[in-house]
Amino acid sequence: MILTTLERVDAAAFAEGTGWEPKPEGLCRGEVCVPAPGSLRDDGTVDVERAAERLGMPIVHDAEHGVWAIGPGTSTGRVLSTATAPDPELIDRDGNPFKLSSLHGRKVLLVAWSSY
Amino acid sequence: MTVALDVHPEHTHRWIDAARPDDPAAAHPSLIDTRHVTGELFGFVNIPMAVWIDETGTIVRNAESASIERSPLRDMEVPDGIPERMRTMLTEVKAIPDHADQYRAAIVDWAENGSDSPYALTPDDVIARSQPRDDATARATACFELGRHLRATLDDDGDAAAIRWWKEAHRLDPSNWTYKRQAWTLATTAPDAEENDLVQEAGEVYGTSWIDDVLAGGGGAHYTLEPDL
Repeated sequence: MILTTLERVDAAAFAEGTGWEPKPEGLCRGEVCVPAPGSLRDDGTVDVERAAERLGMPIVHDAEHGVWAIGPGTSTGRVLSTATAPDPELIDRDGNPFKLSSLHGRKVLLVAWSSY
Repeated sequence: MTVALDVHPEHTHRWIDAARPDDPAAAHPSLIDTRHVTGELFGFVNIPMAVWIDETGTIVRNAESASIERSPLRDMEVPDGIPERMRTMLTEVKAIPDHADQYRAAIVDWAENGSDSPYALTPDDVIARSQPRDDATARATACFELGRHLRATLDDDGDAAAIRWWKEAHRLDPSNWTYKRQAWTLATTAPDAEENDLVQEAGEVYGTSWIDDVLAGGGGAHYTLEPDL
């Protein structure tokens, strides 16, 4: 997740960018919730550094360009913390958005490839 | 469905067209991931890799090498008289393990038998078998994303900014080949080239190249994340 500030980050934006939804009970992804007191502020913003610390997410800063990147969580020690498939928004050949969840109800063999 | 991990969508088009995703006989969603986010989310560290997702949206098989057809490169004779470095490359390519027949058969079994297939894993097994992730590999993901973002948004020094962060991603997670191959290709392919430079001799920019790092990792036999069938 790319950020241009660590202040006043909206909870919905944090959820969209990291896959972890800030809730009163903690930071949640699928059926997994990690207690994270103080991460979700009363005004609906997220204390990014506190949330990242709770999830074991590294924060990398490019000071020259004023940009931060938040890495994925490490709290489980595995890439997957749940077997519920994530739902990234991808694009098709013509640039149209495509959600993986649109294929619910069908088996999906998701094959990664590249042109390089 | 297929997902191309490629920061330049246009580089994928000729391959997508060749796969004829709109052909009723082989119709499939053919998608592009310009941020490598599926690598982060599913654990793709090389290509081809795949995950299996059932009708409820549950992953039933974690990311692993997903060749379904034996590459002709595995069986080619390394010709005499070629440069030693090219000989080494071809020799290591031939050493890459091949489980194409078994993996294809497993896919068919799952397609026919669903959750009764022995290849469909429980959620606990899927999580346990997924790639390990520690601070270094997670930090590498952040570095790759930072480089990608700067390359896409800076007018003048985007390439230089990306190279700096992608070098750091490679150092932190040397086993992530999509991060490396993406970066190397962009470093050695001419901007107006119709095809990518697949030899990826990017040592002048990144310090090492494909064959250097394959050898450093133990050779072609250790290049892919083989399916545990």
